[in-house]
Amino acid sequence: MELLITLLDDAFFSAIPAIGFAMLFNVPKKALAYCGAAAAIAHSLRTLLISFGMSVELGSFLVSVLVGVLAFHWAKKKLVPEQVFTVAAIIPMIPGKFAFATMVGLVQLNIDGAVSPWLLGDVIDNGLKTLFILGALSVGLAIPQLFLERSKPVV
Amino acid sequence: MSSQQKAQLTLEQHEEATRLALWGGQLLLQYGAESQLVETLTHRLGTALGCDWMDLAVSHNAIVLTSVSGPRYLTKTRRIVDRGINMTTVSEICRLVVMVEKGLKDANEVRKKLRQLSDKQFHYNRWLMILMVGLSCACFARLQGGDWPVFGVTFVASAVAMFVRQELHHRGYHLLMNWVLSAAAATSVAALAPAFSLGNKPELAMAASVLLLVPGFPLMNAISDMVKGHVNVGIARWTWASMMVLSVALGILLAMNLTGVWGWL
Repeated sequence: MELLITLLDDAFFSAIPAIGFAMLFNVPKKALAYCGAAAAIAHSLRTLLISFGMSVELGSFLVSVLVGVLAFHWAKKKLVPEQVFTVAAIIPMIPGKFAFATMVGLVQLNIDGAVSPWLLGDVIDNGLKTLFILGALSVGLAIPQLFLERSKPVV
Repeated sequence: MSSQQKAQLTLEQHEEATRLALWGGQLLLQYGAESQLVETLTHRLGTALGCDWMDLAVSHNAIVLTSVSGPRYLTKTRRIVDRGINMTTVSEICRLVVMVEKGLKDANEVRKKLRQLSDKQFHYNRWLMILMVGLSCACFARLQGGDWPVFGVTFVASAVAMFVRQELHHRGYHLLMNWVLSAAAATSVAALAPAFSLGNKPELAMAASVLLLVPGFPLMNAISDMVKGHVNVGIARWTWASMMVLSVALGILLAMNLTGVWGWL
């Protein structure tokens, strides 16, 4: 029960930023609700997977495959590119904080004069997290398209 | 590839089809479509307008297109200027291409539509955007476990940053300059939370309030371009997105130096 409430809370508070950012990307009005819905499903599902002990990267990959499948169908139905739905939907999962922390740390390493091991460790930590989460999200989104729309048979 | 026989276009028709397809491709790339989409849609638009084949070379700041009709080849280049992300424009062009393919629109109507799309873009109301972006960043703080005071400070800080971002954009400042100053504005306001120990995780307000500047679209486009084989465009986009992230970091450091609140380190 408590988990359910956490997940609903999570879904609600990830749908709002998805819609906000969709508006920032000037997504057509009719598609805004889809972005919000996809984000709510994806982010709460990822929270659930992480609570079962899955890593953030693998969780991000799996749910972005789901977003990719949803967007694939919506795009076919509405005759708009998939990107209209996908990018806004995964915005709540983009590791923005890690990306900024990497760069702030990088600049600070130089300012401090002497490279301190803990700061260097932080930079590498945050940088790798950024890279792998971003990669997982982006490749995950591409997966449905790569599988469902191969233009030629493999053999 | 296809063996269907198309009548050769007259030189005028051929030039017009080439120009329109290139125009469509230019708009797509300028408003943030990924390379694969630009390539496919431009090809489809050109062939639907009667050309036999279209080959497109996409790069970060120009597109080159060669169209074939019968024995005649035409090649044209157009510059690409980054105009920000506009998914409405991209969707409209996508629909336009489908309609031309189904024979519902001819070259004249395509030209009218492209002219209309180039002249005026769809935008949401700017005050609504400030409200929504403020709320979005506040929700990020909430998702990370911040309580209501943190939510409130983040809301105000990102709303202020969004206002700064719009103003600087309106006055034609360079994007990276804009990003530095907006990040500094967000961090300065959000620094009030740690300074007065507001909420359960005051530093969270500083981290969440700059999230409106994450170049999410360029980063996703960069990776998906590289995955789909457009490595050069992908690398260019990745580099540009990294520079945006670096600008935000510089803005954060600037504000932390000014306010003396070191929430990030």
